[in-house]
Amino acid sequence: MKISLNWLKDYVKIPPKYSAEDIGRLLTLHTAEVEEVMEQGKGLEGVVVGKIITLKKHPDADKLKIAMTDIGAKELVQIVCGGSNLEEGMIVPVALPGAYVRWHGEGDLMQLEVTKIRGEKSHGMICAGEEIGLPPCEEGEITKLHTSAKPGTQLTEALQLDDTIIEIDNKSLTHRPDLWGHYGIAREVAALTGTKLEKITSKVDAKKSHKSGKSLEIEIKNPDLCPRYIGVRISGIKVEESPEWLKRKLLAAGHAVYNNIVDITNFISSELGQPMHAFDSRFIDGGVVVRTAKRGEKMTTLDNKERLLTDKMLLICDHKKPVALAGVMGGQNSEIKEDTTEIIFEAANFDAPCVRKTSVALGLRTESVQRFEKSLDPALAETAMLRAIELTLKLCPSAKLESEIIDIDNSKPKNLTVKTTANRVCSKIGTQIAEKEIIRILESLEFEVKKTGEELSVKVPSFRSTKDVEGEDDIIEEVARIFGYGNIPSVLPLLPAKLPGENRERFLKHKARDIISLGLGFTELSNYSFYSADDIAKTGLETKDHIKLLNYLSQDQTHLRVSMLPNMLKGLREAIKYDKAPRLYEIGHTYREIGNFMPLEEKWIIGLTVGKNSFFEAKGSAEAFLEKFGAENVRITPSKNTEPYAHPAKCTEVAARGQQIGSIYEVHPEVITKYELAGSVSVFEINFTKLVSIGQRQHKYVQIPKFPSMEFDISVVLQEKVPAASVQDSIERSSKDLIESVELFDIYRGQGLGEKEKALAYHVIMRAKDRTLNDEEMAQVQKKVFQNLEKLGGKIRGK
Amino acid sequence: MDKLKQLLKETLEKITRIKDTGALQDLEVKIIGRKGELTNVLRMLKDMPEEERKTFGQEANKTKQALQEAFDEKRASLSSSMMKSALSNIDFDITEPGIREQTGHIHPLAKVQWEVENIFSQMGFAIMDGPEVESEYYNFEGLNIPAHHPARDMQDTFFIDKEPDKKQGRLVLRTHTSPVQVRTMEKYGAPLRVIVPGRVFRYEATDASHDTTFDQVEGLLIDKDISLAHLKGVMEEFLTRLFQREAKVRFRPGYFPFVEPGLELDFSCALCGGGGCKVCKKSGWIEFMGAGMVHENVLKAGGVDPKKYQGWAFGFGLTRLVMMRYAIDDIRLLKSADPRFLKQF
Repeated sequence: MKISLNWLKDYVKIPPKYSAEDIGRLLTLHTAEVEEVMEQGKGLEGVVVGKIITLKKHPDADKLKIAMTDIGAKELVQIVCGGSNLEEGMIVPVALPGAYVRWHGEGDLMQLEVTKIRGEKSHGMICAGEEIGLPPCEEGEITKLHTSAKPGTQLTEALQLDDTIIEIDNKSLTHRPDLWGHYGIAREVAALTGTKLEKITSKVDAKKSHKSGKSLEIEIKNPDLCPRYIGVRISGIKVEESPEWLKRKLLAAGHAVYNNIVDITNFISSELGQPMHAFDSRFIDGGVVVRTAKRGEKMTTLDNKERLLTDKMLLICDHKKPVALAGVMGGQNSEIKEDTTEIIFEAANFDAPCVRKTSVALGLRTESVQRFEKSLDPALAETAMLRAIELTLKLCPSAKLESEIIDIDNSKPKNLTVKTTANRVCSKIGTQIAEKEIIRILESLEFEVKKTGEELSVKVPSFRSTKDVEGEDDIIEEVARIFGYGNIPSVLPLLPAKLPGENRERFLKHKARDIISLGLGFTELSNYSFYSADDIAKTGLETKDHIKLLNYLSQDQTHLRVSMLPNMLKGLREAIKYDKAPRLYEIGHTYREIGNFMPLEEKWIIGLTVGKNSFFEAKGSAEAFLEKFGAENVRITPSKNTEPYAHPAKCTEVAARGQQIGSIYEVHPEVITKYELAGSVSVFEINFTKLVSIGQRQHKYVQIPKFPSMEFDISVVLQEKVPAASVQDSIERSSKDLIESVELFDIYRGQGLGEKEKALAYHVIMRAKDRTLNDEEMAQVQKKVFQNLEKLGGKIRGK
Repeated sequence: MDKLKQLLKETLEKITRIKDTGALQDLEVKIIGRKGELTNVLRMLKDMPEEERKTFGQEANKTKQALQEAFDEKRASLSSSMMKSALSNIDFDITEPGIREQTGHIHPLAKVQWEVENIFSQMGFAIMDGPEVESEYYNFEGLNIPAHHPARDMQDTFFIDKEPDKKQGRLVLRTHTSPVQVRTMEKYGAPLRVIVPGRVFRYEATDASHDTTFDQVEGLLIDKDISLAHLKGVMEEFLTRLFQREAKVRFRPGYFPFVEPGLELDFSCALCGGGGCKVCKKSGWIEFMGAGMVHENVLKAGGVDPKKYQGWAFGFGLTRLVMMRYAIDDIRLLKSADPRFLKQF
């Protein structure tokens, strides 16, 4: 919202010690965020009033014209311009060489020079508003000036651009219906600078406004959606251009100017924050009816668009048809025209959620919606109407009130009183503020304070009580912000004697990262939580396990992941461009539809390896991770049910303490192809939520052996189908007491062996707890080992 | 006797002049070896008279001992200087790169999150989690944002395609970490001192500074006498520890339906120290987060009695903090798998 400093000064005498910048800073620190404080004429040096004398086509460009322009110099200057609305005799802003402009209102400022455009000399530029910081033009047009200033006059002087504009961030006004006009901001400035706020009074007396002709009939069918409607019929209207002072105010506040009547409604909106509407009464059949639309009813709004309505939307109608979308936009059928002579003014109060819902449903957001949706004070409608009538009578001396001012008021004033104490206020703010000061602050904002003992009864003004101020905390906020947040000291709270519990899962998550990244050499990714239906199809996941977004931004992100795999594969495709053998992992959430309202959310770790040995690298990494992490009793066994995205022969289950916690598998070659990858890619997936819930092993030190070991190596040739795990097991079983460890140190396939044979070489360490072993004991164990291996069909090499 | 002295003197002189161990060895054999000069002298002892033999013998042994020491000493010194010259005379290029085990990389988001969690833990805050797929109730109503409240515009929401629940409303992707406020109060009651780092989602077109997915940190401190002064204290301490340089915070009025009074919190620019630079847009302050005293309705929704307890909440963008910390200019990099980016951390 743009606030004109000159306009503010109509209501508050700002002490001279405050500069415009100071006011901006005060508002930012105490009221609402000021985005910019901008002197109107700034940057307009070298922009002058010009008059187009002759206009001809550019010989070498269809869309360009050559304008011979009077800029107050001895001779006309030639300017090349593409404006679609150029005509001879037009008064335009001309940026002379040396001036700064912003091309099409975008990008950085550029300094102009005399140039040639397609071979024709151009002495400066004829500007569109947005190029020089004035209100923007229609696409492709340039600004037509309405000024009697002579060509060559500086634009700032011609337009009297001596104002300063304070631009306030609308978002920071979300909760403040009272701040949507200059008067509300003036109230804050008065409180912040300790000056008096001028009262807005109108010379029109509502009661005495006499009935001179046609009456105005108003019927409200939905008083809950329209708590107050004030209307008046005014005749003798002459629609013409607004006077300079009015136009200047509106332009400064960022409004376009139309004609005196429309400008008056915009003025009121910008002064008081109360939107108004004016109908041409020629097009109002009978009286005004406020009702909800019928489902499927249609109307054309002022912006020339036909709107399909629902029965939740509120309309202003006459006895035959809708004439306005209540609180949103007027209808085209009743807008003010050049020949309008009689008008109906509307100043009303509409239900905020209704206006908002209508606006959202139609995708139609207007300044009126912005204000009504904040819950305006119904009392404001009356002030606005009187003010509008006063201005109309002033601007159109021939105007007369044709009807009485009709005020249908179903609003229920809240008369809200909130109780607090100085102690409560200080306890929440965290510093001592004298009671006297608290009262002074509240009164400066038009709250009325009554003191009974410790208790302060604070009466909330009607313009604050519609939604913004409801209870004690809101009163405390008023005190805190005017007192100044900068005056609150910085204090550390005492630590409670009993500290909160540790979040073990979080702690372990960081530990997992340390192990996987720093220990195992994996790089962590942070992938999106969504993927596409295409990913589900490619990996063979079940659509029914997924939850789907209702609104999504792209077809790539429609479903929430139940598996970490698809996004990892996409990550791999990106990573592999720069790194031939990436090892990647992610820790993140999965979201699974399980038939409850809430999906099952779990945290997973997925690690990914590539290359010829990818499976065993993934397996080794998982084993190392689980060991370092402290998982207990880990078992890796062949999968019973293979997931569709896993290689059917290269797929295992991982269990700890008897519970399945994940899997290790090579990604199915078809999936690899579908993701435009090649070679072997393997993955370990661990359900981190489960892993943490299982708990970690008690880590106890094992005594260093006192007696020496005996060691022997053994190499055995076996059929491929005999798993290494069984071989290992059969060696270990040979003497549970004396075999301390069995390590597979070599696997050989190829020359000298049969096609389906392999040779496994083991290093066996034997030890007794209580004595030194002798050769005979070793020979016995060796013999047993040989026997066991032969039972598996093994041929002991070198025997 | 003179002969002995002569031998000692000459030999010691020879030893000083010797430059290699071979010559030293030869000399040693020649003088004190089995057939050496001194040994020969000693052999002559048996032919000497008793008296003479005794004194001469003692003298000869002393000489032999002295020579032996001199030879040993010279040998040690020769070998050490030879070793020295041998070691320093090889070509060894210490500027060749070291041999490194391949280490991986922790994501910058996780790194900064860990730091943030650590600092708050030290200040007695527990770390909480909550679901990323949330109900409208916890994401909005419970936080005093009723349906059709204009504040819902500020947070463009992803909705889940699923039948709404009668009590909880529709399912959404949480738009902030704030739902965990009510969840935590429900579960643990007051007093409460927690932070909630986590992933949040916005239905918002992606560009260099906006993404559908980013991380926030929520904070909540509720007790009997907690005030805005404590918010200033905690945040100044946090930011000072995080940036390792004294940080100041500034409050501005702000509006969030779940707090009252509502605040925007800025901190003094860590780059220029508040003097004004490009990063803080010459203001000396960096906009950091929304905060305020927890709204009565939110306390009530969490089952906490607002007459007994009061406190504050805040929420800041962890992703933004990461971008600030490492001067990352495009938020999308944080979701990329590009090793040229990830290997920098």
